[in-house]
Amino acid sequence: MSQPYVLQLAAQRTQWLSARDVLIAGNIANANTPGYQATDLQPFSAVLDSAEVSMASTNPAHMTPGGDGFAEARVVESDAPETTLSGNSVDIENEMIKLGDVNREYTMATNIKRVIHQMIMSALK
Amino acid sequence: MSDPLQATLRIAGSGLEAQSVRLRVISENIANAQSTGDTPGADPYTRQTVSFDSVLDRSLGVPLVKIKTIGQDDAPFKVEHDPGNPAADAGGFVKLPNVDMLTELADMREANRTYEANLQVAKQSAELLGQTVNLLKDA
Repeated sequence: MSQPYVLQLAAQRTQWLSARDVLIAGNIANANTPGYQATDLQPFSAVLDSAEVSMASTNPAHMTPGGDGFAEARVVESDAPETTLSGNSVDIENEMIKLGDVNREYTMATNIKRVIHQMIMSALK
Repeated sequence: MSDPLQATLRIAGSGLEAQSVRLRVISENIANAQSTGDTPGADPYTRQTVSFDSVLDRSLGVPLVKIKTIGQDDAPFKVEHDPGNPAADAGGFVKLPNVDMLTELADMREANRTYEANLQVAKQSAELLGQTVNLLKDA
């Protein structure tokens, strides 16, 4: 039996969210690093629309995280409202808001997984 | 690439470490804000500065933050006329550290704020990992 579409979608969603969480964590950790450019992921809808996109490498030193799922989401430079004198474009408040978004949406996705699972189990038992 | 949420924990950990080193240096500066030299005319305590660098962790493929250098501020020392001070030179002038309390306090607040943000990231990724594990609970 193939996996129900909703479960697949929820799994993709959590993958996308955790990939975004990594970028947000990197931004926050580097909030005071000179010359650091804040990054963000392409929106989830953009990932869904295009069947296959590969990660853009804007620097020869960029490595593609191989092997697992969410290499498909493109890393983009986030539209920072300002860049400090040291060349850092991290806006920590904005990052905290994004962190809250990720938390909420991740909870949503895991709850959907749970509910779908319960539905399947109620049909089986 | 390993589990993204665990990578998040590692990144937040590196941020916490970097900011705590920064806080340590700030506290050294504040503690030594009045430390003069031992001998007449000697240089006093020199303000220390911290700079960060973003390094790519090759096993995780994510940017961690680390301390690049703990350097010395080459701003000029403050000079005060205090002939009774043991560190005073022949003319009665004492060199005081180039530590500006206001700058240090502002720096401390910023380090504090960034530390808290990193802590929040760590808390959240632990929570999200917990939620995922909890999916097994009612399976």
